[in-house]
Amino acid sequence: MFLAIKEIRKEKLRSSLIVAMIVLISYLIFILTSLALGLAQQNTDAIDSWHVKTVVLNANANVDMRQSLLTTDQVGALPKDAAVVGQASVAVKAKGHEQVSATFLGLKASQFIAKNLTVTSGRKPTKASEVLADDSLKLKGYKLGSTITLNGLAKHYTIVGFTSGAKMNIAPVLYGTMSAWQTLKGGMPNLTASAVVAQSATFKLGTSGTKAYSTAAFIQKLPGYSAQNMTFELMIGFLMVISLIIIAVFMYILTMQKLPNYAVLRVQGVPSRVLVQATLAQSLLLVAAGLVGGTVLLVLTAVAMPAVVPMAFSVPLLSAVGVGLLAMGLIGGLIPVRRVVKVDPLTVIGG
Amino acid sequence: MPALAVEQVNQIFGQGTARVQVLHDVNFAAEAGQLTLIVGPSGSGKTTLLTIAGGLLTPTSGQVQVAGESYQQRSPKEKEQLRLNQIGFVLQAYHLLPYLTVADQFKLVDRIRPQGNLAPAALTQLLTELGIAELLNKFPNELSGGQQQRVAIARALYPDPEIVLADEPTAALDRPRVQVVGQMLHDLAHNRKKAIVVVTHDERLLGFADAVYKMEDGRLTQTK
Repeated sequence: MFLAIKEIRKEKLRSSLIVAMIVLISYLIFILTSLALGLAQQNTDAIDSWHVKTVVLNANANVDMRQSLLTTDQVGALPKDAAVVGQASVAVKAKGHEQVSATFLGLKASQFIAKNLTVTSGRKPTKASEVLADDSLKLKGYKLGSTITLNGLAKHYTIVGFTSGAKMNIAPVLYGTMSAWQTLKGGMPNLTASAVVAQSATFKLGTSGTKAYSTAAFIQKLPGYSAQNMTFELMIGFLMVISLIIIAVFMYILTMQKLPNYAVLRVQGVPSRVLVQATLAQSLLLVAAGLVGGTVLLVLTAVAMPAVVPMAFSVPLLSAVGVGLLAMGLIGGLIPVRRVVKVDPLTVIGG
Repeated sequence: MPALAVEQVNQIFGQGTARVQVLHDVNFAAEAGQLTLIVGPSGSGKTTLLTIAGGLLTPTSGQVQVAGESYQQRSPKEKEQLRLNQIGFVLQAYHLLPYLTVADQFKLVDRIRPQGNLAPAALTQLLTELGIAELLNKFPNELSGGQQQRVAIARALYPDPEIVLADEPTAALDRPRVQVVGQMLHDLAHNRKKAIVVVTHDERLLGFADAVYKMEDGRLTQTK
């Protein structure tokens, strides 16, 4: 550590350039991770807030709640830990406001999902003409008491409350009543819900034409969810590999330049262990300094970032990414170690 | 018993038509309290002898004893320990670590070898004798060649070794500086009871030596 710190302090420009590179890489990885998490959460926020373990859909709906319809006979009587959900994709419009694509979710006020909803302002809907909207609609100018239409239909709805973290498929959610959902679905007879969700992991309707999925399996099948996550994971993975290569190349060049010095130390009986430790310590210190810089930039970004940008900051996840980058630094530092161990003291003694 | 004894050492490099015998039955001993000079032209085998004497190269035949024990009886790790604790090297090109100040060059030794180094007062005295006590906060690139050489000598003496092996320590020095370094090596040998062995082709050092060997075509003969 002594040698590493001394060299970094003496070679300020060279060290700063390496640290600057790591700052940019770590910042990019942090931003991508936060963006990936934010987008993933916007797919599942609403479902996550229900704390359900099972989703029952029409067996022919291709695990897509939007395409699932359940009849009264299929649903039957439900236990207390199960609830019906009616999903409809809607375009929200109000006079003087920007049109917004949203997901309408019809709930039964007597069931646990509606009961457990957290209201940030206003109240929960009690009539078919009332909705509880996600907070993000406020950013589009909607407020308590705003009168809206859905899909251009004549019926008017009033926003009576707002709730936070209500997003599904990256669209804001409007919670309403089941009768409102049935209206949106054209009032088809005998239609009870899109899905039944339950807090029990073993819940099944047991009726023909229905199938139960774990919430995790249901989320994986959300449109675009897996592809989007894999894309981000691939980008983050590539950036990790790029950071490994950059660190390894820099450490290799730095080490090659120091081999004559190391050879002298070997002549003087300095164990190669000390030189290996110095190389690894230097690599870790440079990466750690880069991570600190990347974190500072991330915090500034988080403060300055508009709320519409779907970013979420998870300290455990970002810490894991940071540890991953440190591991890359360690591996990158290990690459020139073989040369350090093999350095021949005779190379510095003239012939 | 001499501090360092080289006995019947032969060194051969290469094989077949490329075979070169660099050292021929070399015998030589360095006593504590003496400055021993090995002089000879470039390519005569001086440095090869120095690397063998320092345990950096194993001779084709013959043996080297330090404090009565042969290198052949020691493992590579033990030889490393020997170089760390009992042998100080002064190299031709100084090779001070460029990112360490003069003071840090000694701190590094403290970190690797926390005990047995010169006490602070003794180090200060040594640095004063060498005329570099004022340079503690300087980096090597801020020092002249002569100053760097004296720091390298102090660095070699700091672990208080029994033996000091120096490779062309005056190669880059002018005449007045050669006189200073020669006198200093002589005084170090006598005052601190070190066995100092210098390989050089610089005959200006001859007057300071207690024993002089001449190396020619790999054959060593004592001339003083």
